Amino acid sequence: MASLIDIDNIISSPAADLALQHEVQQFYYREALLLDNIKYEDWFALLDDDIHYYMPIRRNRMQRYGKVRSNDLPEYTNKHEFAHFDDDKTTMNGRLRKLLSDYSWSENPASRTRHTVSNVIITEGEEDNTLNVCSSFIVYRNRLETQVDLFAGERHDVLRRSDNALGFKIAKRTVLLDQSTILSNNISIFF
Amino acid sequence: MNTEANSNSTWSNDDIKKLVSDENGTLDARIYNDEALYELELERVFARSWILLGHEDHIPNAGDFLNTYMGEDPVLLVRQKDASLRVFLNQCRHRGMKLSRDDSGNAKAFVCTYHGWAHDISGELIDVPFEEQAHCDRLDKHEWSPLQARVATYRGLIFANWDEEAPSLDEYLSDSKPYIDVMFNRSEAGTEVIGGMQKSIIPANWKLAAEQFCSDMYHAGTMSHLSGVEAGLPEGVALNDIEIPNEGNQFRAKWGGHGTGYFVDQPGLLQAIMGPIVTDYVTTSPQAEAASKRMGSSMFGQRMMGQHMTIFPTCSFLPGINTIRTWHPRGPNAIEIWTFIVVDADAPEHIKEEFRKQNIRTFSTGGVFEQDDGENWIEVQKVFRGNKARKTKFNVQMGLGDSTTEHPDFSGRIGGVYSEDAARGFYQHWLRMMTEPSWDTLKP
Repeated sequence: MASLIDIDNIISSPAADLALQHEVQQFYYREALLLDNIKYEDWFALLDDDIHYYMPIRRNRMQRYGKVRSNDLPEYTNKHEFAHFDDDKTTMNGRLRKLLSDYSWSENPASRTRHTVSNVIITEGEEDNTLNVCSSFIVYRNRLETQVDLFAGERHDVLRRSDNALGFKIAKRTVLLDQSTILSNNISIFF
Repeated sequence: MNTEANSNSTWSNDDIKKLVSDENGTLDARIYNDEALYELELERVFARSWILLGHEDHIPNAGDFLNTYMGEDPVLLVRQKDASLRVFLNQCRHRGMKLSRDDSGNAKAFVCTYHGWAHDISGELIDVPFEEQAHCDRLDKHEWSPLQARVATYRGLIFANWDEEAPSLDEYLSDSKPYIDVMFNRSEAGTEVIGGMQKSIIPANWKLAAEQFCSDMYHAGTMSHLSGVEAGLPEGVALNDIEIPNEGNQFRAKWGGHGTGYFVDQPGLLQAIMGPIVTDYVTTSPQAEAASKRMGSSMFGQRMMGQHMTIFPTCSFLPGINTIRTWHPRGPNAIEIWTFIVVDADAPEHIKEEFRKQNIRTFSTGGVFEQDDGENWIEVQKVFRGNKARKTKFNVQMGLGDSTTEHPDFSGRIGGVYSEDAARGFYQHWLRMMTEPSWDTLKP
């Protein structure tokens, strides 16, 4: 089984073409605006039919086990284990349905979020029309009167070319959150 | 243990007894927010009760360990070479540094990273650097080993208790065992863990969560989880099209504050949470029929649905959904929630996978059900900042006086599914733990 993420391959990859880099970043900025302006249906429409939205659980591991992200004793839970998210199109549609319900108390009133996406590194995709993209995010959430949550992490996406308005669909998103114990009362937002 | 030892508390036993009334179904909100009461809880509840630490399957091999907590005390749970279990304080007796900082793993020894005091996997201090020069051989290593707790298991679940005089786990579980067995004794193979412990910290009192899992089917049947239900409905089916179940029962343990509730023959809520595959597996499949045979009751094997349960104080689980968690207290205003998933060890792989995916979808920190629990609990806690709000008298009167011990299908003290008798039992036991210093009066 391959590691969750081949980080060495990403680090050593050549810089992407400037126009492509610009195009992908502009996609992310617009995607962030959808999330930050609670345009739920438009954001969910960006998820392709084979979407895998995945967020494993992160654990504290002493380095004596070797590379903490190695396969023997990984820092992240594996695909057969518990995760924060492990969703396909059907379950993501259920999450959308929850968000659109009048009874979705965790997001009604809606959180105010700010998704900041940077450190975008594009590598070749496995299909002709896909790109693998690694990025970093900081997401600020302010909710109700005084609740503030801060999430930071890494995203590993497979973007697929699309004739939609933003030019891409998201075929796969693996979110590596920089928290072991989740420091919020829930994760009712998306990254 | 003499609870009178904490004599500097501002709370007298007489005052604490006024906070909860089993007879009238009332409680005072200060039990959820008072700092001094919380300090007493750590000593009188958490240092005297059996606390869920994990599952045997978390630590199958010698040296396997889990770093966890009893109340706010960090402890190491370690599998020994003879397959027995040890639990000891994760604190060096020299200057108090943790002996291990891995969430879990396998160890041959636990060496303090401050000055290097080394301990074997049973928690015994075995080696001290420069022992000859520093201690001139006067150090009694056994005496200066970390504090050990009692450990006991029930159906694969591992509990620990600091109090030498507390009743055995067996006695402690009282008459609640048949209701635990619905989740943990379905087959000869027992249960196994789906790897990974989910942890989150939320600003709410531990009793809000523990009591909800003990006694509160009401929130599921009314308002809290409507959008969670909606998230699991097939396309084209609206919330108005479905009927929320209302037939079922609630059980209040005769001793210990444990409680559970469930629908009978109404799979609606279970369906909405786990979907058709798991629902069929736990209610109609050959494995479900085998569970009935094993338990000698189709009621316990197949017909109780959407069950919630708490073993006092902080062990909660949902049979059929198979989430299990410990609500570790973090002051009066916070809980650290540690959640894991179990499955029947002999279930087909696709069933195990379905349990895993549906738990992530529903009862995890991002789950479409749990999200809204987190919202309720922290909002309740915020309101307690008010001078009036923090001491409001709350109503816990549903089903008051309606329970019977002569139900044809269910053993013990039984009320209706929307009763709060189990909540009253939970708080009554809390009150007894808080005010009765001796097991002579408190024991089952």
